[in-house]
Amino acid sequence: MRLIFIGIIITSLLGAGAYVLKLQRDNVILKENAIKLEGAISEQKTLIENQKKDFAEILEANKKINELVNNLKKDLDDLDKRFSKKDRDIGKLAIERTGAIERVINKGSDNATRCIEIASGSPLTEKEKNATKKSEINPECPSIANPSYVPY
Amino acid sequence: MLILLTFLTNCSGVKKLSIFKEEVKRQELNLEKPTPLQLEQIKWIIITSENADEVFKKMEEQGLDPVLFGLTDNDYQLIAKNFAQIRNQLKITNDLLDKYKDYYEPKTQNSQ
Repeated sequence: MRLIFIGIIITSLLGAGAYVLKLQRDNVILKENAIKLEGAISEQKTLIENQKKDFAEILEANKKINELVNNLKKDLDDLDKRFSKKDRDIGKLAIERTGAIERVINKGSDNATRCIEIASGSPLTEKEKNATKKSEINPECPSIANPSYVPY
Repeated sequence: MLILLTFLTNCSGVKKLSIFKEEVKRQELNLEKPTPLQLEQIKWIIITSENADEVFKKMEEQGLDPVLFGLTDNDYQLIAKNFAQIRNQLKITNDLLDKYKDYYEPKTQNSQ
């Protein structure tokens, strides 16, 4: 009877010891988990910030492209107006002032050629960059050839 | 009893949390941008019923074949507008390409 009692006490003590050890192990794991969760939250915050930056960048890029499309459309409208301004008939003008119109057309053609070069990625010259007067700009495509020019 | 106790205490333990994160960056495309165009200059000649003889004579004097590929004044306007539209499309496409490259392959990322 006494032996059984001692056995129960020893078993209980061993069990308690094992349980304490297990609790200690669990505690270590819980601490590790807490650190990982904190890290994950911090990463999520960074991710959200980056997403905000991306959205802002997307909006800005869309705005720039829309501006470009509108400016290019204006250049095209201006070309149309130049041909038909005040019922202008370029054919009649060419008959009446052949030499002058030929010079105008060749100058316009050179300008238009330069516009295509710029559109294909050719860098702007200093003269093009700094042009602010009507007499200095490329009238075929001022929106892409003369960034300093403000129409007046 | 000891075995039973050990079994019970180890059975309901706290599970270790594992967060898997594996990010493999896609290789950058890094295609070279096409070389900007360098176009040849062309010369327009206006020919009317009055100056036709003079124009052809001048061409012969300059050693050119006395032949012209013609457009009416209306078609000249149309070709000018067509080229302007092609130019606009080229510019928009080029700028879109730049924007995509800036967005997906920003310079700071490239330099890493």
